Amino acid sequence: MPSQPNGRTAAASPAPADPLPAPPGPATGTPLVRLSGVRKVFNQLEAIRNISLDIGDGAFVSLLGPSGCGKSTLLMMIAGLVRPTSGEIRVNGEVVTGPRADVGVVFQSPVLLPWRTVLDNVLFPVELLKLSKAKYRERAMELLAMAKLADFAGALPRELSGGMRQRAAICRALIHNPSTLLMDEPFSALDAITRDDMSVELLRIWQANRKTVVFVTHSIREAAFLSDRVLVMGRRPATLVEDITIDLPRPRHIAMTEEESFNGYVRHLRRSIEASHADAP
Amino acid sequence: MRTLLDRFVWPMAVPVGLLVLWEVATRALGIRSIILPPPSEIIEVMVTRYDLILTHLWPSLYLTLTGFALSVVGGVLVAVLITTSPLLRKSLYPTIVVSQVVPKISIAPLFVVWFGTGMTSSLMLAVLVAFFPMTINAAMGFQSVDEDILRMARTYMGSRWQIFWKIQMPHALPFIFSGMKISITLAIIGVIVSEFVASQEGIGYLIKFAGGLLDTPLMMAAITALSLTGLVLYWLIAEAERLTVYWQSTSEFGSGGQV
Ligand SMILES: Nc1ncnc2c1ncn2[C@@H]1O[C@H](COP(=O)(O)OP(=O)(O)O)[C@@H](O)[C@H]1O
Ligand SMILES: [Mg+2]
Repeated sequence: MPSQPNGRTAAASPAPADPLPAPPGPATGTPLVRLSGVRKVFNQLEAIRNISLDIGDGAFVSLLGPSGCGKSTLLMMIAGLVRPTSGEIRVNGEVVTGPRADVGVVFQSPVLLPWRTVLDNVLFPVELLKLSKAKYRERAMELLAMAKLADFAGALPRELSGGMRQRAAICRALIHNPSTLLMDEPFSALDAITRDDMSVELLRIWQANRKTVVFVTHSIREAAFLSDRVLVMGRRPATLVEDITIDLPRPRHIAMTEEESFNGYVRHLRRSIEASHADAP
Repeated sequence: MRTLLDRFVWPMAVPVGLLVLWEVATRALGIRSIILPPPSEIIEVMVTRYDLILTHLWPSLYLTLTGFALSVVGGVLVAVLITTSPLLRKSLYPTIVVSQVVPKISIAPLFVVWFGTGMTSSLMLAVLVAFFPMTINAAMGFQSVDEDILRMARTYMGSRWQIFWKIQMPHALPFIFSGMKISITLAIIGVIVSEFVASQEGIGYLIKFAGGLLDTPLMMAAITALSLTGLVLYWLIAEAERLTVYWQSTSEFGSGGQV
């Protein structure tokens, strides 16, 4: 696949003629998300202590840590929904001061609007961003087709299963062609089997239109299976305990989770988390 | 066929059975009309004296609908104010909630002193009783939007205006309809009680008037007409809800037959 350096455009101007542009190539190393000395204090309680990290363009990075360690807070800060107490966050080279059009977010629950059809839910960001709905309709349909939801474009969310709803939510987060996709435990409400399927689907969607993904999870297996890189967060106040590169071939298949190389990563991550527990006061 | 059974036959079985029992019992036991007329006699009075009943039904219906409309519009507006202004929420909301406990109907005689025996008095009482449940329901609707949905909208830089019209308003619709169902019933009660207290027309006046003459069949015919009117109004709201809130599958009114 030919690779062009950082040919991303802002969300407002995707070429409608090329509705699913797939900026190709693996992680180029250009930092797309950069955190410098980020700290967050809630009512005098330090939730996050001094986190600095670079996330490369097109990389799939997981934030792994126990519940309550501050993963969501960190993600919401990158999304511009929560302000850091100190430190700086940059996305695409610009300091984050609020929500940005080049970021898409998937939450733990699908948060689809029940009165809108699946298609209109996917187009919701386009509406809020005051972009032309007509222009994005085709892209929405292609995203839905990719998420195997084409037949449900006209359905209401209540007609969809949990996994289908979350896939629709992923389509919604991608509709305005953001450079960065932030995902906060998107599969944690799903059953184990659906969860494996969703992981595979997500990787397929990601492979087709490479975004920088920051994926929050407390599942070690999920982090190891999906990611290029796993950042282990320690207990409160959260710091980065470890930064592990997952050097497994892509595309990945569920069968790989039975291989020794995969299990080696899982063991390593588990030890790393247990060690951070032991340090906790 | 099943739908027909579930929607109409079974729900009607109990009231029809009771009516038959009533008819048979009053005749068999020889109960006098002045105490309890049989259903057939009530229906007969409704047919023969329909113009008298209608003459008094119209003003009551008019006042009920006007009071209801004012309550809905006012209630939703106040709910919007409470929702958008934290100061108003903190200052106004507790009063509104506590005022729910006051039996507002007891103010009816006071309203006669203030506004006279005419329509103003009835209208004011209807609004007084119908307004608060409307406000509280609508406010609950606007404010109960899931925090993650709001977060999602803010991610895409949704303005307050967009968030209100595209999220809070549709989310509040089922709550608003619940409020309307309570309000329509209360508006009727408000008007009737006010007509009991002091009025020269209206179905409440007719009921009291017939009571004074010990004309129990007329009284019960008037009560029946009033009940049917209330039922129709409630049904109209439930139908409007079913059509508007299409994304919710069930409603407590005639919910049978839906899969
Ligand atoms: N808005 C807030 N106000 C006060 N404390 C908060 C707030 N949000 C999160 N916290 C605290 O910060 C810590 C991290 O929370 P969170 O980021 O949700 O963790 P995680 O997503 O890893 O489960 C928790 O202890 C939580 O109680
Ligand atoms: Mg969380």
